[in-house]
Amino acid sequence: MSVEIDTRPIWIILALKSLRPLFFLLLAVLFWYFINMPSPAGLTPAGQNAIAVFLLCLVLWVSNAVPLAITSIFAIVLVPLLGILTKKETYALFGNEAVFFILGAFILAGAVMHSGLSNRIALNIIGKFGGSPRRLLLSVFLLAAVLSFFMSEHAVAAMLFPMLLELSKSLKLRPGRSNYGKFLFLALAWGCVIGGVATFLGGARVPLAMGILKETTGATIGFLEYTVAVLPLVVILLAVGFALLMILYPIDVAGVENAGEVVEKRLKGLGKMSFGEYSVGIILLLTIIGWISMGRTLGLAAVALSSVVVLFVLGIVRWKDIEEYVNWGIILMYGGAIILGSALDKSGAAAWIINGVIGRWSGSPWTVFAIVSLLTIFLTEAMSHAAVIAVLLPVVIGISGKMSVDPSIMTYSVATPAGLAFILPMSTPANALAVSSNYITVRDMAKGGLIMVIVSWVLFNLMAAFYWPLIGIGRLR
Amino acid sequence: MKKVLIALSTAGTPDKAIDYAVERARKENAALVAIYVIDAELAEEVFESFSDMGFIGDRPSTLLSESIMKEYRQRGYEELGRVQIKTMEAGVDFEPLIERGDFASKVLELVRRLDVSLAVVVKKGKKTFLKYLSRSPADEVKEKAPCEVVIFTDE
Repeated sequence: MSVEIDTRPIWIILALKSLRPLFFLLLAVLFWYFINMPSPAGLTPAGQNAIAVFLLCLVLWVSNAVPLAITSIFAIVLVPLLGILTKKETYALFGNEAVFFILGAFILAGAVMHSGLSNRIALNIIGKFGGSPRRLLLSVFLLAAVLSFFMSEHAVAAMLFPMLLELSKSLKLRPGRSNYGKFLFLALAWGCVIGGVATFLGGARVPLAMGILKETTGATIGFLEYTVAVLPLVVILLAVGFALLMILYPIDVAGVENAGEVVEKRLKGLGKMSFGEYSVGIILLLTIIGWISMGRTLGLAAVALSSVVVLFVLGIVRWKDIEEYVNWGIILMYGGAIILGSALDKSGAAAWIINGVIGRWSGSPWTVFAIVSLLTIFLTEAMSHAAVIAVLLPVVIGISGKMSVDPSIMTYSVATPAGLAFILPMSTPANALAVSSNYITVRDMAKGGLIMVIVSWVLFNLMAAFYWPLIGIGRLR
Repeated sequence: MKKVLIALSTAGTPDKAIDYAVERARKENAALVAIYVIDAELAEEVFESFSDMGFIGDRPSTLLSESIMKEYRQRGYEELGRVQIKTMEAGVDFEPLIERGDFASKVLELVRRLDVSLAVVVKKGKKTFLKYLSRSPADEVKEKAPCEVVIFTDE
């Protein structure tokens, strides 16, 4: 065992050690000041406290000083403590349908991964369609995207990454130098990011947005309705993303025969498809049909949890298996985010912020939509997607009321761009993973990512302006 | 016996840096020590990112970290193998090392412990404005090492 001795000057060590306590002390002092200062005109004391909790959570979510779920606990504790909502109201929000839908969807995704079905699908697709260098890249890109339609994009990235490392090795790609290597790992990251916004299942942020929308206005957006609204954006972004990668990183390998051998070897290792894989596949398919056909009547959470029950009744998974695949902090994170949104709305804080921000402003709803989507798409580069929704959506829904715009439309302006993070590795796990491969650098990611962010924002707004009215979502102008 | 150190880069070390280190070791009748430093922090960051931000369970997150560490180790062996072949061809004594931790600290520690006479390090070429924002670990080694340090820039 080796003992590492810190040889830096003692004052530097002490200063670094005291940074964290000082940060929290400063935060506590500012928080105390905000809740004790005289209330500004038009703001109730409860509203003032709600804004203080909102700012506290914002700083913690951006700084990552504590885990995301723990920041949500701050909201859960402080909201009833400061009298913003009653204890009963606060804890009842944990029973929100969105939280249970997210939980059910994550358990289902865990079961798919545990059964090995997702791995088999991935290997089969890469094996069948990845016969040439370009087709292999396209297979990986589309596979990452399409799998992210059905399970968390993070889970998809985690599953495909070791496979891509093995493929890269078999192709003798040199980290940091090979264009093909850069393309391959950016295809993984971008595929997951783009595919992740297509449905409610790609990440928990869309269900969270729907939960906040329902909690504050009573309105809902259906599973199929959301996908129909954003699918053209996803398809165009996939085409643009692939074309951009082809331009930025021209293919520099002659053949991919070795990769085919790796895939074949792995597939042989999996053996025949098991009963568990068949069962999980059928249950997932029936669940998606259930979400589409019965989501509005039964509720998305009820459909998801029914499928979870069936998984256990048939003995396809054990509790222990699921525990290993689901991080239970998700309940705290999303429950806390909904509590924060509700606190801002019910205390009148959201309305006060809106009056202050756009009180005399006479811009069109279209302009607000464009600004909100732009703000969201850049904020999501610096903080968790769910945190962006928790912070922005309550205010944006309030703005829609003030401007007499359907709040469902404004919900899209946050929910969809919140997933489109292409520039920084810290913005989403798939990006962090791609950079950790050492095949791409942060600079590589930022270079293509910035173009993708701008293209995404423009396309998203064009889609809202010209496509949504055609499918009856409503006009902004 | 005198010792020459070459610190291998995780993103691949250019041949010119390896050739220079081997040649200097041969000329000075020194042994060549090659170190490959695995940045374990990156794998830990990925684990935390998946666990904390992606709410992915312990098993996939752990498997992911392990696959990253395995990949880094394999790359280390491959890089050290490249150096070994060149030392054998030049008839130079060779000592390979793989360490986990911070690049600059590990290299400096080794320079002091082995009383190295020359350290060869590689740094990534940066755009002019980025040079002012961050200092490379190679520069830190040059600044603090009590021996001659030669830096190769990998464009």
